[in-house]
Amino acid sequence: MMNLQLLNDITKILFVLVMATAALIITVRTLSSLFNVYSIQSWFIAAVAFVLYLKNGSVVLLLLAILTVVSKAFLVSYVMRRIQKSMHMKRDLEFRYLTPIGSILVGTALIFLVYWSFSRFLPVLSSDGLFLFGAVIGVSLTLMGMMVIFTRKRVITKILGYLTMENGVLLFSLFIAELPFIIELLIIIDLVMLIVLATVLAFGIDSSIDEFHNKLNSYVMWFKE
Amino acid sequence: MLAAYLISGLLVMGFMFLRFSLSSKRADYLNTLAIAHSVIYLILTVVTLIYLPQPSFFFNRYLMVDPLSVYEVLIACVIFLLASLYARGYVRRLVQSGEIEVRELRLFYAAYNLLLVVVVFAFYCNNMALFWILLELTTILSAVLIVTLNAKENIVAALKYVFTASTAMIFSIIGLIILFALTRQATGTGTLNWDVLMQQAGSLSPRLFTFAFIFVFVGFAAKAGIVPFHTWLPQAHAKAPSVISVLLSAVLLNIGIYGILRLYAVAHLTPAWHPVSLILIGFGVLTIAVAALSMLPRGNVKKLIAFSSIEHMGFLLVGIGLGTPIVLFWVLFHILAHALVKTQLFFSSGILHQQYHSNQFEDMKDIFTLQPLAAWGLITGSMAIIGVPFFPVFLSKLNILIQLGNFSLPLLFVILLCFLLVAAAFAAILIRTIPQTAETKPAQYHVSLSMRLPIIALFAAIVMLGVYFPTGLHTMLTKIVGSLGF
Repeated sequence: MMNLQLLNDITKILFVLVMATAALIITVRTLSSLFNVYSIQSWFIAAVAFVLYLKNGSVVLLLLAILTVVSKAFLVSYVMRRIQKSMHMKRDLEFRYLTPIGSILVGTALIFLVYWSFSRFLPVLSSDGLFLFGAVIGVSLTLMGMMVIFTRKRVITKILGYLTMENGVLLFSLFIAELPFIIELLIIIDLVMLIVLATVLAFGIDSSIDEFHNKLNSYVMWFKE
Repeated sequence: MLAAYLISGLLVMGFMFLRFSLSSKRADYLNTLAIAHSVIYLILTVVTLIYLPQPSFFFNRYLMVDPLSVYEVLIACVIFLLASLYARGYVRRLVQSGEIEVRELRLFYAAYNLLLVVVVFAFYCNNMALFWILLELTTILSAVLIVTLNAKENIVAALKYVFTASTAMIFSIIGLIILFALTRQATGTGTLNWDVLMQQAGSLSPRLFTFAFIFVFVGFAAKAGIVPFHTWLPQAHAKAPSVISVLLSAVLLNIGIYGILRLYAVAHLTPAWHPVSLILIGFGVLTIAVAALSMLPRGNVKKLIAFSSIEHMGFLLVGIGLGTPIVLFWVLFHILAHALVKTQLFFSSGILHQQYHSNQFEDMKDIFTLQPLAAWGLITGSMAIIGVPFFPVFLSKLNILIQLGNFSLPLLFVILLCFLLVAAAFAAILIRTIPQTAETKPAQYHVSLSMRLPIIALFAAIVMLGVYFPTGLHTMLTKIVGSLGF
């Protein structure tokens, strides 16, 4: 087993990096960079799962790390990029309610709020400091993802917000509890389907209804006549 | 037994992919499969109800058949059967009018049949995480059903639905994870199975349970259309084809309420039941008030019916929050009554939409001469849904309100006032619609028998349930209340 202190330190560094990617997702306007940031964020979260695996030796964590890389860093990013290409849209400049700077400030406030509320409840479950830290970062990431959904107008960016939320939940679940692997797997399959559907719908908003129905049919090939 | 559901569902799906060359017959062929599917499921459910000991567990205890789940599945199967019959004429008409393309039909019916399978298994689910997954699947499938129509507004409505529901559901999973950790702390091995949660409820930390409950509640409430997570509902219900509006309103909203009811049954056994009850009653009253205030200015008939669904879900939430055995008995009856009446209302409004190509009441002229059945369906449905005596909603509303009066008199007055507004909203639309006449009569849309039959059957069922309470139903509901630990 590797040095426990070192692993804890690596985890903390990864947390900071995850938060940095969250800040980028809130502020970046170029779509392709957004996808890159998301992909990097998924790598970081997979890395957290891997470090936890080194610490606990639980195979589920290792599988989760692999699953995260395959499904999020590769599959989802690939689907999103392909659809973005056919949408002829490069940047998302429209913000609602909050400017990027405002969002960062609200995001910071959210982290404190989550820390305040969770530090009152969660210590009952575990006294490990890292555990609380991970839970707080996870839930904050979820809330920041939700903020992206609210403040961005373009559907494709909203989907990225949703994906960030999902990453937050994954991070949270890594620290709180290990659900049975089959459940984790089904959840991920479910979410991938949801993302594909939302992305196809997003394409529909920005294209003609004919193009949309062609796309809808191309994603469900086996229903095609 | 549950394998029979899965196998027959797969068989139906398999038959769908048989190549069928005559495109004009394709709609009918696919529809026949959908009808067969619902009939098989209905028979299986009746057999399950009669012969299977309850509770029974399947598939490593991930699935469970207990009185409540069978009851909900039975309602869902009946509604699906009626909807499949109605869809025969309705979808054919949609194809003729170009609202749905022939190439989209297979996708439409595939999602339709799959939705039935997912709904049935969601009710038979014993594990909350699996329940969550199936709930997400219902969102995906119903969004697909909404967008098969050829209109851009449908994409907007479906997207709003997907985003609101799935964003809220993400919070549910946070709650589930906390709950899992909580049970692990209490019992050594974590679980999200309803039956084990019920057994272990007493040993869970009440503060943390309430904390987890709030998170899980957010997601289920969004699926049930509870304010403030209801924003997706009116648009999705109004834009969806009427046969899908029925499923959204009479089946899918029920799943959200079912999840909340199950969770409340666990909460009821913990010391945390009091704050949880107050949360439910608070959200319920807020939901009823917001829905009632939004209904009065509506000119869109389908939107009005959609808001009425929100109002009823709020009412159910208040009932669950009151949490006495009598109220729960009537809550369960209300679920059935609401499902039947809502189905009739949406079926009728579907016919009117095909006649006038609009959901706005100003466009519905000569309603009695052109579409007498739909007109009567709308009138009796409206009377039934606001709770006029001799209709089933009256019975459940009356009994739940009496119990609410025992709990808090001011709250009773607020809700009665809201119901008055709702009744006024329905009356306003009907009174303005009925006398309207057109100078030149539009061509009459001939309603096929398959569309009339479900409306007539529903009307008979509603009137019967309003004046006669079957003993079998009484025994069943009492058994459910007992099985939930009340």
